[in-house]
Amino acid sequence: MAGLGPTFGRGAMTNDWIDLKNSDVIFVFGANPASNHPASFSWITVARAHGAKLVVVDPAYTRSAAVADVYAPIRPGTNIAFLGGLINYALQNQLYPSEYLKAYTNALTLINPAYQGPAELDGLFAGFNAETKAYAGATWQYQIEKIQVKVKDAAGNAITKEVSVPKQAAALDEPNTVFSILKRHYARYTPALVERVCGTPQEKFLEVARTFCATGAPDQSGTILYAMGQTQHTVGTQNVRAMAILQLILGNIGIPGGGVNALRGESNVQGSTDMALLFGDLPGYLGAPTDRHADLQTYAAKFDATSYWVNGPRFVVNLLKAWYGDAAKKENNYAYDYLPKTSGNYSWIPLFQAMRAGKIKGLFCMGMNPAVSGPNARMERLALANLDWLVVMDLFETETASFWKAPGVDPQTIQTEVFALPALDAMEKEGSIVTSGRRIQWRPRVAAGPGDAKSDIWILNRLANALKAVYAHSTDPKDRPILDLNWVYGDDPDPDVWLVAREINGYALDDVKDATGKVLLEKGALLPAFATIASAANFDAIACGNWLYAGYFAPADDGRGIWRPAARRRGQKDPGDLGLFPYWGYTWPANRHILYNRASARPDGAPWSENKKLIWWDAATKKWTGYDVPDFVATKAPDAKADPAGAGLATQAGTDAFIMKADGKGWLFAPTGLADGPLPEHYEPLESPVQNALSGCQCNPVVKVWNTDKDKAIGDHIGVCEQYPVICTTFRLGEHWQAGAMSRTLPWLAEIQPELFVLLGPDLARARGIANGDQVKVRSARGEIQAVAMISARLKALIVDGKPVHLVRIPWHWGWQGLATGACVNDLSPHVGDGNTMIPEYKAFLVDVRKA
Amino acid sequence: MLIDETRCTGCRACQVACKQWNDLPAETTRNRGTYTNPPALSANTWSLIEFKEIETRGQIGFYFLRRACMHCEHPACASACLVGALHKTAEGPVLYDDHKCIGCRYCMIACPFGIPTFDWNKGLLDQPLIRKCVFCADRVQNGLTPACAKACPSRVILFGGRDELIAEGEARIRQSPGRYVNRIYGKAEAGGTSVLYLSSIPFEQLGLPRLDSAPVTVLSEWVMRYTLPFAAAWGAALTGLALLVRWRNRGKPKRPSSKEAA
Repeated sequence: MAGLGPTFGRGAMTNDWIDLKNSDVIFVFGANPASNHPASFSWITVARAHGAKLVVVDPAYTRSAAVADVYAPIRPGTNIAFLGGLINYALQNQLYPSEYLKAYTNALTLINPAYQGPAELDGLFAGFNAETKAYAGATWQYQIEKIQVKVKDAAGNAITKEVSVPKQAAALDEPNTVFSILKRHYARYTPALVERVCGTPQEKFLEVARTFCATGAPDQSGTILYAMGQTQHTVGTQNVRAMAILQLILGNIGIPGGGVNALRGESNVQGSTDMALLFGDLPGYLGAPTDRHADLQTYAAKFDATSYWVNGPRFVVNLLKAWYGDAAKKENNYAYDYLPKTSGNYSWIPLFQAMRAGKIKGLFCMGMNPAVSGPNARMERLALANLDWLVVMDLFETETASFWKAPGVDPQTIQTEVFALPALDAMEKEGSIVTSGRRIQWRPRVAAGPGDAKSDIWILNRLANALKAVYAHSTDPKDRPILDLNWVYGDDPDPDVWLVAREINGYALDDVKDATGKVLLEKGALLPAFATIASAANFDAIACGNWLYAGYFAPADDGRGIWRPAARRRGQKDPGDLGLFPYWGYTWPANRHILYNRASARPDGAPWSENKKLIWWDAATKKWTGYDVPDFVATKAPDAKADPAGAGLATQAGTDAFIMKADGKGWLFAPTGLADGPLPEHYEPLESPVQNALSGCQCNPVVKVWNTDKDKAIGDHIGVCEQYPVICTTFRLGEHWQAGAMSRTLPWLAEIQPELFVLLGPDLARARGIANGDQVKVRSARGEIQAVAMISARLKALIVDGKPVHLVRIPWHWGWQGLATGACVNDLSPHVGDGNTMIPEYKAFLVDVRKA
Repeated sequence: MLIDETRCTGCRACQVACKQWNDLPAETTRNRGTYTNPPALSANTWSLIEFKEIETRGQIGFYFLRRACMHCEHPACASACLVGALHKTAEGPVLYDDHKCIGCRYCMIACPFGIPTFDWNKGLLDQPLIRKCVFCADRVQNGLTPACAKACPSRVILFGGRDELIAEGEARIRQSPGRYVNRIYGKAEAGGTSVLYLSSIPFEQLGLPRLDSAPVTVLSEWVMRYTLPFAAAWGAALTGLALLVRWRNRGKPKRPSSKEAA
């Protein structure tokens, strides 16, 4: 997600599940949808029945590979080398649609001539500070042209103002264009290098390249499906960037059957991200204020003034009005001071390091099972033992709830007080679920929960009301955020989830009027769309809990003239027969189904081809029309010129397809937004059996490596290849679900995958004297586990840089609770995360395996 | 039912859906170095995905054979049954009557696919029970598709009329000749079955038995028809032989036993 945001403007799946049927080549890389997203195969099967090709690149011949037309093996942790090879192949063989590149990407934009990259600096980008392990990206920036424009000042007088606009070249190959930098950067990623680094035989790589790069043709579309195989690396964000760049180069963004499609592994993980589950965000990706944003004005200034983010400051005010109600006034900067300001990285790994260090005393664990799922889980369980209290809200007594009685642990040594709150399952409560494809669907409660189990909202409502009661008589200003919290969801006996939905959707606190005084929305009415916020003069008369969801609960037509809350619609009309189903639920943003769909048409507004048409310019009505809602201003002509004197989307031209980016372009080269460089460069995983063949820079240089308890048995140890020569990848099965609480407790699932196993190739098994079904021990620098050996020719040793490298794969669902029990595989994985997102490196670390 | 094995990804939704709809308890299993589990069809497992790794010319293949009752057009199990506990219905399912079964298990031997299983938990005396897939006859009679077909996400299992499914299978083979073996398994095998298979590799490699097109029932019915006369004739022949021996030995002294000789 962090890789898609800097490239396209939004960190979300660009297309939708059903849209897979429109694809000509489905490239599965870093995912195993047959196991982990089986429903996707409903649409992959339809595409294949129409002649589409399925390409799978994976270290193992997976269940997805079993039905693929092309399969290529790859060494874990070398995705950028492979993708860089594909980018190079497309560029060298001129398989890119140059009209698309020129119009919709920043290929023509000129970069500071002082920029140097890994090709020149032995793996580093210009501006690296070895001490802070951080980049100052000053030379990564666009060349700027200052132009004089005439604007009117506040008093209405015409004045001249100087504005900066990025400099553009006339041709792609001019020096210092993004395109020429890109070409130079990836020229090193030859098929021979791909073979040397990835262990993929050249002819296999070229087969993938030929098949997928053919989708650069205007009447072809190719999609990339990825999941944790791309993100769970120290270069995870740049892996995703590399896919996004490839898709821009091939013109596959914005069209049916194209896109970079993050297969979200949980049914509502997209919804949780949208609602700011991650520490760095506020709902709707507004970005959490940090200690650099002392007041609302400073915070508001962080939003781009030349993209749709020009409305960001308004959305924040709407959010504050939703949260603090009448206490959020213009005079007090809408209670901006109530918002906590972040002053560091609060992601998973630093949080557990802080618990381990005794800095965090209490933990609320809601539907999470870190005792099984966290990296270096044995160390994380020690961190849990440092807590004074731990609350676990879950369906079952998970390993986290019972960490104090784990095998080999003496409960008497643990002082943590553990509270288990039984929670309801998704089927046992009403609410919305957001699919991977951004479609919000409202679901009713279809079953009663057992015993004392309560819904999350019931528990949180009690908690919030109890907190308010505790502080009720406080006069201390620091307690105002709790006392002023606009918490009115009812409790008779349960809170009303429709009231929560109303707040997220947004509603008018007063009559909302535009600049001419025309009433846009009457007091009390539900907000129909975020466009109302943008055009309102008194936008602070709107409370909205998430601007991206504006309209999702407002009444909408289901295609048959029946009006109901948009997310509750089940209309089955499908204009264009593309599987968009615009009347079913509500897809953010603004019911646009394929993001950046301006790029589905040529710069002149006509579709690239008849079979891939989605939206097009209708000169007669002077409007964009078609099957999807345009993901930009629907009345902006294709030849509309940018107005540098304007604000927001006025500064963007009729060909600017990426409205959330400051220059309206898809970013092949990302001047900002990434900690580890404007272009993806291959680095080895933290633990790797080989030296980086591309440069002297072995690992991602910005990655933070902790040294906690280095001197103890359980600590942040790093393994070396002499002791641990085998690459281990953790993975998921179709039969179990994440940390296992919801599947290892079900007899039918425990029956089909009863025990933890290690998948290993026949060569490695022979070398270690292991027979199929033997008990084996797998050891890393962090710990050791025991499991059943499953020997399979589906996982073969790869020849990397001339020498054989062995692989093992271990599914990580097991723990000591439930019907199917087994060791916690994450006792092996390292406590290190991606340079941008801190997602742990679960997919490539070193182990050794021997017979038990 | 048409099972297009070229589409199957081995997710086992069908296997679990079968247990769910038919209310079959889970078995206690171990990992034996394979994904296939439980190890075989049983009284509590009527549908099973068998995972097969097959290497041809250095290329690995991963196949998922869905094993369950084939619901033959001329079911050998039904014709082998002495008491008529099994019968073929007009809609397709081969069904079984708990109350008629005497536990002889001839059906298990007769079935060329090795499908019917005996419920050893009940045993012979308690109540002998033969168990196998019933084609979700209760669902089908109510206008629903079988639970496995309903659950399949990859559109592998298609449920419908046999002739239409054969036409669909043949159309798929015609459309993508490179993807399929040029034959529908079950169209002719054992006189035709209600469950049909498409595959990308030879069906025998997938694990389906090589059968000719004569229904197994032709043989078993022939055997059943002549069993009584044959038994009677055989009995008569043996009796005659015994009488002959007695006649030839008349008057001869009894042969001493070895003990007496010593």
